[in-house]
Amino acid sequence: MITSILSTIVPAPDALPLPAPAPVLFFLQQLTFLLHLLAMNALLGGLIITLVARIRSKGPDDHWAQLADSIAKTSPSLVAATVNMGVAPLLFLQTLMGQFFFTSSILMGWGWFSVVVVMIFAYYGTYLQSFKGASLGKSQKPILAVTVLLFLWVGFMFTNNNTLMLQVGQWAGMYFADARGLHLNLGDPQLWPRYLHMVLGAVAVGGLMLAWWGRVRHLRGDERGAFMVKVGVDNFTWLTLVNILVGLWFFMALPSDVRKLFMGGDPGASAMFGIGLVLGIGMFVLGFLARLRGPNVRLVMPTAMTVVQMIVMITMRDVVRNGFLGDLYKPAEFAVKTQMFNVVAFFVLLVGAVFTVIWMVRKLYLSWDNN
Amino acid sequence: MNYPVWELSMGAGMLIAVVSILHVFVSHFAVGGGLWLVLTEARANRQNDEEARGFVKKHSRFFMLVTLVFGAISGVGIWATIGLISPHGTSALIHGFVWGWAIEWIFFFVEIAAALVYYYGWEKLDRRTHEIVGWVYFISAWMSLFIINGIVTFMLTSGGWLENHEFWTGFFNPTFWPSVFIRSFAGFGIAGMFTLMTAANLPLGDFRTRITRWNGGWATVGIAGVMASAVWYGRSVGVWTENEALLGAIPVLPKVVALFKIGLVATISLCVIPLLLPKVWNKGLVPMLLTVGLLTMGAGEWAREAGRKPFVIQGYMYSTGMLVADEEALAADGMIAHTKWMSPESLTDEARRGQDLYAAWCQPCHTTNGYNGLAPFLAHWNEETIASLVPHLQHMRALMPPWYGTEEENAALVTHLMSMKPAEPGVMPADRQAARIKSFAISCGLCHTPNAYRSLTDFFTDMNAEEIDEFLDDAGDMADEMPGYFGTEEQRELLIEYLDAFDEVATRPGGSES
Repeated sequence: MITSILSTIVPAPDALPLPAPAPVLFFLQQLTFLLHLLAMNALLGGLIITLVARIRSKGPDDHWAQLADSIAKTSPSLVAATVNMGVAPLLFLQTLMGQFFFTSSILMGWGWFSVVVVMIFAYYGTYLQSFKGASLGKSQKPILAVTVLLFLWVGFMFTNNNTLMLQVGQWAGMYFADARGLHLNLGDPQLWPRYLHMVLGAVAVGGLMLAWWGRVRHLRGDERGAFMVKVGVDNFTWLTLVNILVGLWFFMALPSDVRKLFMGGDPGASAMFGIGLVLGIGMFVLGFLARLRGPNVRLVMPTAMTVVQMIVMITMRDVVRNGFLGDLYKPAEFAVKTQMFNVVAFFVLLVGAVFTVIWMVRKLYLSWDNN
Repeated sequence: MNYPVWELSMGAGMLIAVVSILHVFVSHFAVGGGLWLVLTEARANRQNDEEARGFVKKHSRFFMLVTLVFGAISGVGIWATIGLISPHGTSALIHGFVWGWAIEWIFFFVEIAAALVYYYGWEKLDRRTHEIVGWVYFISAWMSLFIINGIVTFMLTSGGWLENHEFWTGFFNPTFWPSVFIRSFAGFGIAGMFTLMTAANLPLGDFRTRITRWNGGWATVGIAGVMASAVWYGRSVGVWTENEALLGAIPVLPKVVALFKIGLVATISLCVIPLLLPKVWNKGLVPMLLTVGLLTMGAGEWAREAGRKPFVIQGYMYSTGMLVADEEALAADGMIAHTKWMSPESLTDEARRGQDLYAAWCQPCHTTNGYNGLAPFLAHWNEETIASLVPHLQHMRALMPPWYGTEEENAALVTHLMSMKPAEPGVMPADRQAARIKSFAISCGLCHTPNAYRSLTDFFTDMNAEEIDEFLDDAGDMADEMPGYFGTEEQRELLIEYLDAFDEVATRPGGSES
């Protein structure tokens, strides 16, 4: 797939050495990406469920309206978490794969830049929902719908960029035809199933989180809890089922040499693919069984499976990347000059930060309880 | 040249300017405003002043909506924008300072969490805890500033890093400390300005007078601190203290520095009004103060950016992405050998070759008609002029990065530049003196000023018109870096008149502005 002509176009890795061994940076990239996904799923999944709830609501006090009101209040903080947790993996990605990522960003320049502007509006949209709520009157639903669309746009741009960075063979044709940064990766067969896989996954996982929230409320005697569990588990179960099929579509949309890696070409990748399928089916079955228990649902197992599944998916995503790029990407050959003091400082500060944040949030949570 | 170049008709620099100036204003507010919140709250708590507590609480909502949303997202926006416009520079800054960025991310994480807990905790947390959370917010926000400041100042004054490539040498570079002070004080000043806006909405009365005076104090002290630190900063920038840059090597720099100084004076003049005459302060003055503050901040950032020319990282990387370390290889091999993004057509088509070279090496800074537009110059130049300038680009006083084109590459670039020429030839100003100045600006003025940078005063003072005319015939033989003169008859006549009157021009106020 990769010819020698292409290798003349691919930018050389940065002249400065990596400040830590590539596996350390890679681990941090994957870890923080998982955290970003969890926050993003809560946000996007929650917002989509809110929109559906608003549409299905018949009056200001029915179950659907109460559900939408509850979730809407959490959205602004979830945007903050999603953005913050998104910064780190993007940083490590640019460190390890900047030569691919910067190039695809430039090819889709306006699309990539639009993420910034769109995010600002979408973010304010969540604050409007949270602060103004029902006082928005008739415009509440349209504003929510636009907010959801804006976030979907942001996600679509990310999928475009993350796939275009792998389409090295398309770069020259795109750039020399038009350098104004108006391209997207629409010609790539993996684009739509990959994007859909992400969005449906977000709603499914968002549903699971909603079920947790409902479960806690139910245990405390809050009558809104049972409905939250029902909606959450339903979303989790059925969208997981649909997502298994979309995942297979995504799989079939991959180029055959990449696909073969998961079909015996690479034993590790093949094992992961198998595990992923089994976990997907397991999540569906557990979700289905959970539905039968009503508000007294057991969520530990499906949640554990989901987190493991997300790790498997993130790892498979990387196999796909390496499959596309082949010899063009060899992190093992990067020069490394480890900044040991900084590595230690990073981890020490990270631990300190986590404790500080836990302390603050706990104080707020406890006082909330007391009030 | 590793990366493709995003073709932006408005100019890459303009897009960065818009995003970054807005962000910088708000992000400094995010830092200084944090200290304002916690100190004003503590004062209100001490004095049991419920009115003041209410005001701080109300302001904190505005603060959160502005800084968490616009501030945070536009900050990520700058990162996205510089990655699009200067991928080489962004990549180098990321590689050299990954751990700096990563640690900054940690503080960003704490800052965001603290801001949310602070806002949602007004009625929930006890007063002491609430104040502690406020301090956690301010300290983490200021640490963000501290870290980013190290990387941003490194770009202008890379200092000893050039020798050892060590993280901390680059971080604590010669302008690090003065810049930390400028930015911290700017934050306090901007916090005062924004709270003056909130205060102007209060009903008239004793409380409004008190809080307006307090906020005016913040704004005044902040801007006064910026002024003092800026003097220190100016002395810390090597190339500026040698004064070559200010004398005209970078034509825009003296103007921007002047704008910054005037802006500071205007800002502080407005800030003392609420401090000394709090009752006079009103809503009508708020937009003026914020606009002047924003423009001043913009001028300051612009000066730092302009003063870095022709580098993106001083002494290490030019704004085209060329590494200083690669210069010898470029000089030996020519440009195409080091340009990844040459189209297949460029192998056979000279015009396309020129277009690809232009895109790779000129477009990072120039546009046709927008920011740093070339058309206004090209309109006055003929092919001979362009051909004589192209091999000498790095000697221009705008401090351009070097260009090592082979004869074939130069010819291709000239072909492309000719294709960018406006259809209508350039028209000289109707006023004779203005036309003379223009004629100088499009020829000698590209590399010289009359009486400052590469001064021509001594050279031309004793020459008469005939001697100047003769000189122009052989100008290109004078030195290797000197292009020949190929202006039109009209331009030549005007230029001779200008140079002939040089002793007068040179001593005239503003003569250095060519």
